Amino acid sequence: MNKQIQESDFPNPEGHWELYWLPHQAMVRRTRRLASRIKLLKLEMSTKAAFSYFPGQFIQLSVFGYGEAPISICSSPENSNVFELCIRDAGNLTHAAHDLEPGDRAGVRGPFGHGFPMNQLKGKNILVIAGGIGIAPLRSLIQTTMANPGDYGGISVFYGAKKPADLLFIDELENLNAEDRLNLSTIVDEPDRQWPGRTGVVTDPLHEFKIGDPENTAAVIAGPPVMYRFVLMKLLEKEIPEDQIYFTLERRFECGMGKCGHCRLDDVYVCRDGPVFSYSDLRDRREFNEIKQDED
Amino acid sequence: MTYRTISITNLNRLFEYIIESKDLFAPKEREDQPGFYRFDRILKPDEITLSYGTTTIPPKAFFFPPEETLFTFSLSDEGAKLNPELEEAPFVLAGVHPCDLAAIEALDLALGQPPADHRWLFNRRRAVIIGVDCTPDEYCFCGSVNTLNSRNPADLFLTPVSGGYLVEIPTARGLELLSSVETFEAGPEHLEEAETRRKEKTAQLTAAFNRTSADIAGVLESGGFGDIWKELASRCYSCGSCNLVCPTCFCFHTDDRFELNLTSGHRFRSWDSCQFLEFALVTGGHNFRGLRRNRVRHRWRCKFLHLYKEFGRVFCTGCGRCSRACTADINMADVINRLVHESENHSETRPGKEG
Repeated sequence: MNKQIQESDFPNPEGHWELYWLPHQAMVRRTRRLASRIKLLKLEMSTKAAFSYFPGQFIQLSVFGYGEAPISICSSPENSNVFELCIRDAGNLTHAAHDLEPGDRAGVRGPFGHGFPMNQLKGKNILVIAGGIGIAPLRSLIQTTMANPGDYGGISVFYGAKKPADLLFIDELENLNAEDRLNLSTIVDEPDRQWPGRTGVVTDPLHEFKIGDPENTAAVIAGPPVMYRFVLMKLLEKEIPEDQIYFTLERRFECGMGKCGHCRLDDVYVCRDGPVFSYSDLRDRREFNEIKQDED
Repeated sequence: MTYRTISITNLNRLFEYIIESKDLFAPKEREDQPGFYRFDRILKPDEITLSYGTTTIPPKAFFFPPEETLFTFSLSDEGAKLNPELEEAPFVLAGVHPCDLAAIEALDLALGQPPADHRWLFNRRRAVIIGVDCTPDEYCFCGSVNTLNSRNPADLFLTPVSGGYLVEIPTARGLELLSSVETFEAGPEHLEEAETRRKEKTAQLTAAFNRTSADIAGVLESGGFGDIWKELASRCYSCGSCNLVCPTCFCFHTDDRFELNLTSGHRFRSWDSCQFLEFALVTGGHNFRGLRRNRVRHRWRCKFLHLYKEFGRVFCTGCGRCSRACTADINMADVINRLVHESENHSETRPGKEG
């Protein structure tokens, strides 16, 4: 176990050791405002090196001089050199990222982590459960399933947000719903006068949803930590197997490679070993259970 | 393993020889704080003190500096031009105690694990390391974590014997360096003297764990120490001193800094502390370790359980730095013994889940 460092383990000074920290450059192709503090950025990698990713992976976005922030890729990996990031203006880096215009350049490291287990999802009915901006990584998954409809069973999207204006990508989701390619349930916590839909939390439509064959159903969840506990209770109630419930976890990711320590959850680094975990992987981890109990 | 002996005069010649061509870093008494030592650049061999207590800052700083530039950038319309910053000059780090050698070995595992931290490995390759045996004080508990006689990754290791030092030569690089001065084959009397010294050193250790370091993982995993964590948290100031002096802590923070012209700057990383309130805080305001008792607990669980599971060794070398540095007098060995005591004496009544 205690392996000694060998001469061959040391990096060759002529080699590509610097890639560990040096971001690749990407050009901003398009920006679009999705909500008052949320923008969609379309980036194209400037490097010739192949850039490919899976739904659920994240990148480290650099705006030089402001630092880096981990952002989930929210587009389908079909055309991987061009990808989209959904960014909420909530901190130093994301504020700088909101100022980027088409033609500007940014830095990209990654992609990092394991994405959603697309192979295990094949053939299954999928419950996609999103809270707020949690729809971002799930949009990548939804687009992938839409591009390969024969590979998956029925897709049901449960999407909750605080206000109607916080529901992102709602046009494209409603179009897919209208075309019967997925089954969409939206719900908001604080409706306005124009809101024609339901008021409540995301577990409400989930509760009413009839699951015919739980063994052949998988659930993928992304949203604020507080949502996880209630969604999980509902899914277990509906007898979805524990190893078919997948969470994508948010943590403070700085290096992306299981070194900087910020994303540690007990014995795993969420950036390296996740950010997608099945509930069976998380069930016995103390620091996950404490969030579930919403102790803080 | 080959053993040689070297006289004090010849050892000083060796240091002179090193200084001629390379940087030499070794323990030196602090002018501002007599009685305290730090690894410092040596210009003359007589500045070195090989019989020193423990430095405040561990020697990991030579491979993983408190703050280091990852790359510099300059911005233009064509994008950012990035330049990796890396020091390449070889150096010699002398006077490293067994516990600190063990710490470097532990970090070789943690930072060398793929995807390897190339900056750590690159800096490790630049250095020849000369270890030296130590004299423990009341904070040292290396006997409890198997680092009492650690040698790896030293290239040479010195043990004081009459007339000079016994030299162990674990590596070819060490042998090459040593060949520049006169040494003698060690006789059985030298080996015996060194062995006697090691026995005396072991006898001098006063702090110790009540269980083997391997057992501590099981103790921590069983949980139920909520009261202990709460009590420690009531004293802890979350100042991060324990992390900053720890020879095996490797968490870091990265950020950018602009030059005043706002068109160039650099990205750096600096040592970070899991005890800081912001350590696990994410955008949007959720703090995954917002409670101080959870941060305190994390430090013990990380070192003795999580990293033990991952690498088969505890990430504590018994150097005692955290206990010496703690602003609230929290003592590593005492806390471990309280945990062990609690798990042995209250196993029926303890709630299994909490803490």
